[in-house]
Amino acid sequence: MSELDLSLGLLAALVACGAALGLDAASWPQVMISRPIVAATFGGALLGDAASGFLVGAVLELLGLGHTPYGAAVYPETGPAGLLAGAGLAASGGTDIGPLLVAVASGWAIGWIGAISVRMQRRLNERLLAGGGLAAPAKRLERRHRLAMVLDALRAGTLTAAFAVPVMLLVKLADGVSMIEGVVVASALLLVGMGLAGGVGVGVMRRRATDPLLLLAGGAIALAMIVTGR
Amino acid sequence: MKPTRSDQVASFLRCFAVQGSWNYRSLVAGGLANAMLPLLRRVYAGDPVRLRAAVERHLEPFNGHPYLCPMAVTALARLEHDGESPERIDRFRSALRAPLGAVGDELVWATWRPFCLLLSITLFWLWGRPWVAVGVFLLAYNLGHIWLRAWSFRRGWTEGIGVGKALRDPPWARVVPWITSLNLLLIGSAVVLVSWLVAPDTLSRWGVALALAAAALLGYARPALGERLAAGLVLAAPVLLVLLGA
Repeated sequence: MSELDLSLGLLAALVACGAALGLDAASWPQVMISRPIVAATFGGALLGDAASGFLVGAVLELLGLGHTPYGAAVYPETGPAGLLAGAGLAASGGTDIGPLLVAVASGWAIGWIGAISVRMQRRLNERLLAGGGLAAPAKRLERRHRLAMVLDALRAGTLTAAFAVPVMLLVKLADGVSMIEGVVVASALLLVGMGLAGGVGVGVMRRRATDPLLLLAGGAIALAMIVTGR
Repeated sequence: MKPTRSDQVASFLRCFAVQGSWNYRSLVAGGLANAMLPLLRRVYAGDPVRLRAAVERHLEPFNGHPYLCPMAVTALARLEHDGESPERIDRFRSALRAPLGAVGDELVWATWRPFCLLLSITLFWLWGRPWVAVGVFLLAYNLGHIWLRAWSFRRGWTEGIGVGKALRDPPWARVVPWITSLNLLLIGSAVVLVSWLVAPDTLSRWGVALALAAAALLGYARPALGERLAAGLVLAAPVLLVLLGA
């Protein structure tokens, strides 16, 4: 196992990135750099391996297919979570299944912790917009709206700062440890989880009798691509 | 007074932050009123009392898909400009909430975004270039995203109180079912492709395929159970890995 090389500059870059990704999810500008495949690729690139980052982002993306931001729904916050999962896997130096499993689980867990922080932020926004009367509503509204966005970025940056080192250490710990028996069972769990999430994702999109057939047909096409070497 | 071109540009840019102060009381209303301000300031130029009344009116609870909120911004500003009564504006505002949310959620969150994401994952599998896949996703997604914001902003002002017509027969109505079907195929293929990339060689490939198919059908048939089970498995996997490996 190689050493974990995480400078203060790199940590600062991760935190700045986390703040920007957290802001993108809902506050501004929603161009979807906060999606796991993008955030995790950024994280992987910062630690020197964009492809590893993309891979962990793709797994997180599939796991999150059923979680859509309808109305006031609570869903995992994917920006900082994807960033740290991608950075963690890249820092471990490869795409071995052990570090990958830990990176995915960390990303998933941070996503839900992020969701709790978003709820808290939204409660705070309630007070921010309601408080202080409306003596000069236009100017006050502009100021408070901007303040809410600054707080959102700070929230996401803090979340990233809090979990950056623990995630990288956890992923690193899983690297190089001999766990042959565990690998088969644990990776099977992840794969079944992805399959389940795929089915849930289809259910979210449309409910027609032919939906499962299209899902299975897609899987069969992919299988044929693999067997025939693309 | 009619809003100028620069008022419209300022308002359109503010629409990108329409969810900036989202909260559980007034939902997206703070962002909506903030985006309307450049237009309202022009409409009520020299009349601070009516401006204040309009801002207070639009701070009442409102929700809608963020990419279609520009339609609410300009349609409501148009009504203010046309001198409609506050009661009529309030009724129109309430009527607009549900369709803006439902149409946008189905088009963007359930169709366009998954399509671009799944396409990107497939491209990564084919070429193995992460930045190409990310670039294609961001470009394709945001072409649709920005077009939708611009379309809804423009239609809101031109249609005013008649925006319901634009929402009932939108330009994407015929394309969405096709993209949805394509998405179902892409989900099936993306799950298999990513599983192949991450599965260790020690696993039986055909066993993986069968397990994926069974799990996907269970997830489809019982989404609530599938969601909980998937989350549990993902979190349990590394714990089990360490326990069995120790």
